[in-house]
Amino acid sequence: MNANWIRSVLFCALATPLPGQQSLESIYRTTGTAVVAVFETQRAVLQTSSAVILEGRKETGYGVVISADGYILTKASEIMEVKAPAVTVDQVRYPEVKIVAVDPAWDVALLKIEAAGLIPVVYAPTSDVPQGTWVVENGSTSRTKRRLMAGIVSAQTREIPASGGAALGVVLNIQSKALEIEEVNEESGAKEAGLQKGDVLLEIEGKPVKKIEEIAEALKDRKAGTNVKITYRRGKDKKTAEVRLAAKGEMFTDQMNRNDMMSGKFSKRRSGFPRVMQHDILSDSTIVGGPLLDLEGRCLGMNIAHANRAENFSIPVEDLKALAERLMKQATEALAPDKADTPAIEAMD
Amino acid sequence: MTFRLISLFLALLPCAAFAADDRLYVNDKKAPENRKDIDALQAALVKALPQARSATVCIEIGEGSGSGVIVSADGLILTAAHVTAGVKKKVTVILEDGTKLQAETLGLVADTDAAMMRITDPGTYPFVDIDRTNSTRLGDWVFALGHSGGFDKQRGSVVRLGRLVRIANSTFQSDCILIGGDSGGPLFDLTGQLVGIHSRVGQQLQVNMHVPMSEYVKNWDGLMKAEFIGEGPFAKKTEKGNGFIGIATEARAQGGLRVTKVGNKCPAEEQGIKVGDAILKINETPLATPTELQDLLKELSAGDEITLELERDGKMENLTFNLGER
Repeated sequence: MNANWIRSVLFCALATPLPGQQSLESIYRTTGTAVVAVFETQRAVLQTSSAVILEGRKETGYGVVISADGYILTKASEIMEVKAPAVTVDQVRYPEVKIVAVDPAWDVALLKIEAAGLIPVVYAPTSDVPQGTWVVENGSTSRTKRRLMAGIVSAQTREIPASGGAALGVVLNIQSKALEIEEVNEESGAKEAGLQKGDVLLEIEGKPVKKIEEIAEALKDRKAGTNVKITYRRGKDKKTAEVRLAAKGEMFTDQMNRNDMMSGKFSKRRSGFPRVMQHDILSDSTIVGGPLLDLEGRCLGMNIAHANRAENFSIPVEDLKALAERLMKQATEALAPDKADTPAIEAMD
Repeated sequence: MTFRLISLFLALLPCAAFAADDRLYVNDKKAPENRKDIDALQAALVKALPQARSATVCIEIGEGSGSGVIVSADGLILTAAHVTAGVKKKVTVILEDGTKLQAETLGLVADTDAAMMRITDPGTYPFVDIDRTNSTRLGDWVFALGHSGGFDKQRGSVVRLGRLVRIANSTFQSDCILIGGDSGGPLFDLTGQLVGIHSRVGQQLQVNMHVPMSEYVKNWDGLMKAEFIGEGPFAKKTEKGNGFIGIATEARAQGGLRVTKVGNKCPAEEQGIKVGDAILKINETPLATPTELQDLLKELSAGDEITLELERDGKMENLTFNLGER
């Protein structure tokens, strides 16, 4: 995102009542109950074909039901943080949820619940709809009833590059002549791979690196969510590790700008997506992962990030379908008894 | 007396009839009731968008960026006063397709946040009609455009749909969610007519304020004449002579001014000007004595952009930056 707007951002005014004003009752506002009532047929689809992901009683995400026997897509980085997720579809709560496959580049996880007779979403034929087209998504939900929010497709479908570029998530000691790690970011792939302060980076994908610029060069065309092979020295040992790359701007959050400050909550992972469609649904919450429906109730995409107060990203239906097929294939291969140890599958109970 | 009243009535009549004809019927329902109503809203929006989008611009000014909208074929732009922040300043305008154009700020209304500017590169530009008759009513469906967070060619300007939820004398409030970079951008009714300009937001997402067109219509002549109108929070009147660079200088035998001192936290320090550098020209004017520099600064104000020709170790360098406030 372009960072050059800092000086003339919107005036952040306190919402003092305006004198001599006329005001529209809240039920008639865009998110008001009288307005969203018109989307009842789309709400009925959310009721049966979207999932609510719960941690205890707290909603932490939504999901897209893609098969009658209980396969569900959701946002990976958020469900990974839930210790014992449960899922509600329609009025039934499913306490056992397995994460059967993950695509780190799209930040999508495939879940499996023990269910039968679910109603999967119907995919829309294309995500290439004009800007201004109505879209509907999950709003807050009760135990038995899904609510909805509506908005429009609001910008061109495009790639969202990793904010600040894809990075390992380490701070290097600038006094050291070698590429010595000074600090490992808590949210980073470097941390997950076990890198520590004092380790010295030697190679990236087998190519020697000696200067910071060479690291930047080696990572330049790589995407957030993908892995790179790192060779490093710890004491006298030479070691290797697969390190997940993440958006620099999302690991080092002290780089928060004024738009973030006026945005309230936003998704932690909100950049580094191969392709997204954008919509304007007015949402105070960062809960994503559910389907984005068109007026026919068909799935146009899956919500993947609430980027800021005005911009929400969804994975377009073409990419979502391909992703679903790929993850299903991975999961079924992994479930086959003779291939139980297939790598790249992160299973947990 | 009678004659004047009649002529006024006649003059208004076509406008009123036009507005009534074009007005989307869903606006007169408290809420859309069925599929036909929401389809009508979508159809009107999709139809109005291309022209509205082609007239919406990104405005780059100093280190900031906002939005604006072209309202005449020769490139008159309406925006917000806190975007232009002053009159007769040079700015860059970017069209949706990425074309960059030179522009100059005209007048502003400091207490309501209205402002005008003009593209100075000659040409014929896409534009939108403005609502001169104050035809928008509470509850009307409106859409916002703007370069949220700055210009992004792959994304384009961002559209948001909402309703007019509050009307006060010099402010509209809508539930089209705005964010930094949208400032100065357009709010349209569903016929594609310009009804407001984005001004400010509250902490709640639902609080998004716009300057109504009536504020522009009322002050049109003054805005065209580049007047600084009113006093208020959105722009501060610049005073001549209150700008500074942050250096002390002495005349050099071979011409130009030698820098003898650089202040702390001033434009000179930010630009990396050092003691011993020589300033030969500012804005193309050659300088021979410190008095000439002072006289030149007396005619400028804080925030004005200057170009400084600098000699360091025999090498020439041009620095362009804005004056600080004394």
